[in-house]
Amino acid sequence: MKTIVSLLIFLTISMINTINAQSSYEKGMSKAFELWKAKTPDEAINLFERIAKAEKENWLPYYYAAQVHITTTFNTKDAEVIESRLKKAQEYLNEAKTLSKENAEILIMEALLNTAYVAYNPSVYAMTLSGKVEELYQKAKALEPNNPRAMLYHAEWKMGGAKFFGKDPKAFCPEVEKAILYFEKETVKTPFYPKWGKNQVKRVQQNCKS
Amino acid sequence: MKSPITILLLLFAFIHSNAQTTIKGTITDTKGVPIVGANIYLDGTYDGSSSDENGAFSFISSETGVQTLIVSFISFETFSLQQEITDMKNLNIRLKEDVNSLGSVVLNAGTFSAGDNSKTAVLSPMDIVTTAGAAGDYIGAFQTLPGTSTVAEDGRLFVRGGDANETSIYIDGLKVFQPYSATTNNIPTRGRFSPFLFKGTNFSTGGYSAEYGDALSSVLLLNTINEPDQEKTDISLINVGVGVGNTQKWKKNSLSINAFYLNLKPYQEIISQRFNWIKPYESLSGEAVYRYSFKNGLLKLYAGLNYTDFNLIQEDINTPLGVNIKLKNRNTYLNTSYKGSLGNDWSIATGTSFANDYSDIKFDSTLVDDEINSFHFKLKFKKRFSNRFKLNIGAEQFINEFSEKAEDVSFGTFRSKFDNNSTAVFTEANLFFNKKIAMKAGVRGVHNSLLDYTKVSPRISFAYKTSSKSQISLAYGDFYQNPEQNVLKYNQTLSPEKSSHYIFNYLYQKNRRTFRAEAYYKSYDKLIKYDTEGPEFSSLFTNKGNGYATGLDIFWRDNKSIKNLEYWASYSYLDTKRDYKNYPSEATPNFAAKHNLSLVTKYWIKDWKSLVSTTYNFASGRPYNDPNQITFQNQKTKSYNSLNFSWAYLLSQQKILYFSVSNALGIDNVFNYQYANTPNINGDFARRAIRPGADRFFIIGFFWTISENKTDNQLDNL
Repeated sequence: MKTIVSLLIFLTISMINTINAQSSYEKGMSKAFELWKAKTPDEAINLFERIAKAEKENWLPYYYAAQVHITTTFNTKDAEVIESRLKKAQEYLNEAKTLSKENAEILIMEALLNTAYVAYNPSVYAMTLSGKVEELYQKAKALEPNNPRAMLYHAEWKMGGAKFFGKDPKAFCPEVEKAILYFEKETVKTPFYPKWGKNQVKRVQQNCKS
Repeated sequence: MKSPITILLLLFAFIHSNAQTTIKGTITDTKGVPIVGANIYLDGTYDGSSSDENGAFSFISSETGVQTLIVSFISFETFSLQQEITDMKNLNIRLKEDVNSLGSVVLNAGTFSAGDNSKTAVLSPMDIVTTAGAAGDYIGAFQTLPGTSTVAEDGRLFVRGGDANETSIYIDGLKVFQPYSATTNNIPTRGRFSPFLFKGTNFSTGGYSAEYGDALSSVLLLNTINEPDQEKTDISLINVGVGVGNTQKWKKNSLSINAFYLNLKPYQEIISQRFNWIKPYESLSGEAVYRYSFKNGLLKLYAGLNYTDFNLIQEDINTPLGVNIKLKNRNTYLNTSYKGSLGNDWSIATGTSFANDYSDIKFDSTLVDDEINSFHFKLKFKKRFSNRFKLNIGAEQFINEFSEKAEDVSFGTFRSKFDNNSTAVFTEANLFFNKKIAMKAGVRGVHNSLLDYTKVSPRISFAYKTSSKSQISLAYGDFYQNPEQNVLKYNQTLSPEKSSHYIFNYLYQKNRRTFRAEAYYKSYDKLIKYDTEGPEFSSLFTNKGNGYATGLDIFWRDNKSIKNLEYWASYSYLDTKRDYKNYPSEATPNFAAKHNLSLVTKYWIKDWKSLVSTTYNFASGRPYNDPNQITFQNQKTKSYNSLNFSWAYLLSQQKILYFSVSNALGIDNVFNYQYANTPNINGDFARRAIRPGADRFFIIGFFWTISENKTDNQLDNL
């Protein structure tokens, strides 16, 4: 009897601990996404960073911390803010990469980060970073040929290039269609695994209207 | 006996009634200004919070015992505190600014950086090669920066009243012994290296680091690419040559190779030349870079081979038939460098460079064979004590073997040979007092075994940020340089030449606009003098020469005001005089024009898919000596003007059609005058103007890049 009780106690405690750990990660992540939605990106970044530091082996919080930094640069024109945010985002992605190697999602995020540099100062970065962005998308696609974000954002990137060189961006519209298909088929592997981007399809499709 | 249920309940109660501690405090910067949005948390837990608009924070934790509190914020150094959790109350934490972050002061007196990784970069790598008039020559683009003098008939860098040999060029920290392609008087040279191998450059027009020696005026530091972006093949077809390049990438290593064949014969058959070319300039060059990444470091191997030959008859006032100059040159350059971290904040940079240069020259009936073997080894350690204090320490060895055989009917065979070896040690400390004040102090000691001297030169620079967009910097340094080899081959008892630099710099950067002004004074001492027209076997050599150079360099760049237009303007004012070589008295040398101005524009025309560039160069008249005058070197040529134009048209993303013309207006420029050695029957010395081989130079080219991803092109090679 005594052993059974001890065992029961032991099991219960470990279960409670597991639930606690699990739920604080989930609670933390959900809370961080809420903060991001509530237009307090820096609070969200801080929380993602705290989770990353506590979890130690999970690349996702670093990935999202980088994403918030990158997307926040779209709303400012202050060169110093943009450069320091993108620098920090790259640091987060580097951390993410050490935790998860050959990860298509991280490569896509890195491509977006470099695109942010190009967008804010094309005369300095367009020529130097274009090759890198292209390479990142290709690597991501080689790892995950059906990744909708790789398909969509690579198409958008190529549309930008086509427009710059006075060509028709519509050539890449079939790739956007493919991305839509991939979005529909996408299944979530683990909680909080990246699945964003579907709502950007419409924006990219603006290029397909004549 | 208590029932198991009770125990369970008690346990639950225990878990849920964990002692909770409230951690409270405020975060400010070193001046006490609250920091909003700092991230405060207990390391390894979920417990944390962000600071509010008053810098205050508060959060609850159920942890106990000694914990580590971390405070992090962008552009500040991360703070950590290890303490009993119950003592973490009313904390007043002051974060130190991260001196490596953006907006920090930069030690930049004397230096122009190019490359996207530098905070004070004034030129992007692409600029260097899309500058009209540079014609793909790396050096050409730097000649549009202030501090340089336009000496179009030479092609090398003349910096702040210094002769061309006062500038040293380094690749990946190692010396390049023959950076320019072989040529002769009044035929401009070019850099030997193809521009696309380099990612960043530092061009220092004075006050440079203790790491570099044997240069009185300037150093140009080129860094090769660490990792190429992609695999590709480049093909260039130009009216004067053809080139091909290829890059391969593997998991940990990559290889880039390129070859270029240049032949000016077809061009010179169409465009008439002032010089009488018997065999026009022909050269074949090849380069290869191999890179290998180790776990903690990067190894790079660079090899360059170059073969040049030409034969021409140059006009000469003293020789009615002209002087026949025939040259064959073969140059091999190898450079191996390794950079890596050793752990514990130590890093290492080491490498060797080797050059073998062989020239076979014929001046009329005189035959000269030169062979130079040069070797450089460097070992440098860097210790990062903190973000604010870094120390470099290093040693280097130079070995130079020169041998020459000269043959002429008048003097028979004359052989000269010397070994010129130097050993140097240097150390330098980088100190950031805060984000606004920084200084660098270094010292270099060198011993030369040929001339048997030991010299110690201090270098110091200081920078202060006057506002968020502007800063001032000061630099001082002593510099030594060995006499040139055409002196050393006759005399090996001389001392090195010396210069001292005093620099004041002001930099203003805002919104893609840069203004930079630099005032300097440079003194020269112990310059080589001789009593013959040129250095000769019978010359009497002394170190009694001296001189000075002072001036103001202004640079303005604006990428913002006009859409699709980028431009920069450089102006240099130079006042210099020196008594050296065979000068009878102190005078301004021929290469030093008082005013130099460059205006570079690059305009992207979207509808035409074209990048149109223009470069305008102006230099005021250059001094020359007229033996018909009593005063030495008191005449001035007319001013120099040149308008260069280039047009790159993108046929597609990977095919570029390129056209360029130098001196588009065909202005008749005169660089200098050559006077007869003896007066004519009227007692006058006759003269001949030294002018370019042709007024204009045209380039028409087609550049094709073949890569899998179809976005890269060679626009950055033009």
